[in-house]
Amino acid sequence: MIHVQNLFHSYSKNDQYAVKNVSFEIEKGEVFGFLGPSGAGKSTTQGVLTGLLQLQAGEVSVVGYDMKKPSRDLFNKIGVSFEQSNVYNKLSALENLVFYRKLFDVPTVEPLTLLKMVGLDHVADKKTGEFSKGMKHRLTFARSMLNQPELWFLDEPTTGLDPAIASQIKDIVKEKNNSGTTVFLTTHNMYVADELCHRVAFIIDGEIKLIDSPRNLKLQYGEKLVEVEYREDNTLKKSTFSLLKEPDRMALNDIIHSGKVEVMHTKEATLEEIFIKVTGRGLK
Amino acid sequence: MRLWYNFLKDMRLSSKSLYFYMEIGFTLIIIAVLLFAVPENFESNMAIYVHSDIESSFYDQLVGNIDSQESESWRLLSSREEVIEAMEDNRNSVGLVLSMANNQVLFDFILQGYENDSLKNILQTTVETAFASQAPQFEDYTFITTLDPSAERLSDRLNLIPLVLTLNVSFMGLFVIAAYIFLDKEEGTIKALAVSPNRMWEYLLGKVGVIMVSGILSGFLLLFALVGPNAHYGHFFVLLVATNLFGSALGLFISSFFDTLVKAMGWLFMSVFILAFAGTSYFMPAFSPLPIRLLPSYPMLFAFREILLENPDLFFVYATSLGFLAIAVVVFLVANHRFERTLTV
Repeated sequence: MIHVQNLFHSYSKNDQYAVKNVSFEIEKGEVFGFLGPSGAGKSTTQGVLTGLLQLQAGEVSVVGYDMKKPSRDLFNKIGVSFEQSNVYNKLSALENLVFYRKLFDVPTVEPLTLLKMVGLDHVADKKTGEFSKGMKHRLTFARSMLNQPELWFLDEPTTGLDPAIASQIKDIVKEKNNSGTTVFLTTHNMYVADELCHRVAFIIDGEIKLIDSPRNLKLQYGEKLVEVEYREDNTLKKSTFSLLKEPDRMALNDIIHSGKVEVMHTKEATLEEIFIKVTGRGLK
Repeated sequence: MRLWYNFLKDMRLSSKSLYFYMEIGFTLIIIAVLLFAVPENFESNMAIYVHSDIESSFYDQLVGNIDSQESESWRLLSSREEVIEAMEDNRNSVGLVLSMANNQVLFDFILQGYENDSLKNILQTTVETAFASQAPQFEDYTFITTLDPSAERLSDRLNLIPLVLTLNVSFMGLFVIAAYIFLDKEEGTIKALAVSPNRMWEYLLGKVGVIMVSGILSGFLLLFALVGPNAHYGHFFVLLVATNLFGSALGLFISSFFDTLVKAMGWLFMSVFILAFAGTSYFMPAFSPLPIRLLPSYPMLFAFREILLENPDLFFVYATSLGFLAIAVVVFLVANHRFERTLTV
């Protein structure tokens, strides 16, 4: 679905690269997370992939279209949800979607259905200039689904949303992915990436440091420890056991058999911890 | 169809913005000024205060004639001091004291001080001739031949209309289209369009269409208010569309070099300022150096002027329209090419 080979991009068109020697592939039906702090090169890469930035060096194809000179037909097949909401403030939510809908040459979704999906149907006729930041963000998200894209670019889709709405947005992404949509997710939110992505790429200073599935990363970089809270002689005790040491495994087994376990956690690493371990930098 | 949807969307957006009404508002103000503050023709009402010290029957009769005419421009006063006092009360006046010395009539002009040499010469010649023409033996041997006896002359008020049409209708779009583009860029909506099948030229032409609508509205409003129903509206429409397209294309071209309206504004102002120079040659045909005649606004002014005449030179009007249309297409294509590379960066 996406093929990127040795991508370089410089805004000043010199050797100050915002993205350097980036290569990756994304398969159809995959949710691919592009994880990195601000200024790491996430938006630049997405800019090239969506045709907003000109391809300067490297090979990039998106949905089979060479991005050296992408055909406008490509844009019937992709959807882009921007981090910064960009809707016409003087038009209502419905008018915004109705206008964009007419630009496509493929069957589109009913604007009201999309507004309902993101919880904006009750303000469909309200000017978006009167919307909150979160409402505008949801409208931008809804707009990106108009043409039922095969490939969906999501830039920080849950940023600035309250937890309930963010959860709703994540459910929509999962649902679309289950029905075959490929998703390119750009975020610095490790929890969103962990929850949604089949694979993630860590990008920092314009370079990809690592690409793998969250599960493999956790297995590779996490510690094989189990933390248990249990009752013994009416006292709540807390212990950590290594799964690699035989005595610890035996002790853990005894506690489990006693049936007095109250809380038990595997001590796997979070994506953020792995990111810091791999890149030496945080995600903020 | 996408072009149509872009146009409709832009019409809807612009009808809710200040820019659309700015041009029409300016036009209404200009109409009011031209109708109520500008006279049909500019005429000098300069008063001439005269005192005569000559004691002769001829001059007594002549001065008596002036006095009896009760003319607004000529007034006979009884002393040089009265002349000066009257001049101090009315700064738009000159004084003339007639006296005799060695059997010669002396014309002593008293001026305010702001008059230039041309005015001094005109006054001198006019007054001397006026007195000389009253002499019994005076005969006028002056003849005037015109090369084009059928040449039409516009009233001074109508003569201002081409300048207003050029600056407010044809070139106003230069600023407004830039404002629309940069507003879209600022709001980021341009990016949303760029990731849709919408083409750049469809987006840009949608804006051009809005400028065209406001230009046509303003132009027809102006012409109807000042000329009435008998103007050549068909020919005017063609010329207006061509020049308006040229203005919009030029605005797009200049804007394509900048990323904010503030940065572009200086160049936009300078362009209109330079184009407005053609007005000097339009009002003073004797001053028309080559650099001014090369300005696009120069033929534009004269083409608009033709439209106002009873018998316009249609070849000139249509050749000018075609020329502007051709240049507009080329400039638009260049601007489109530039925007494809720069608008979403």
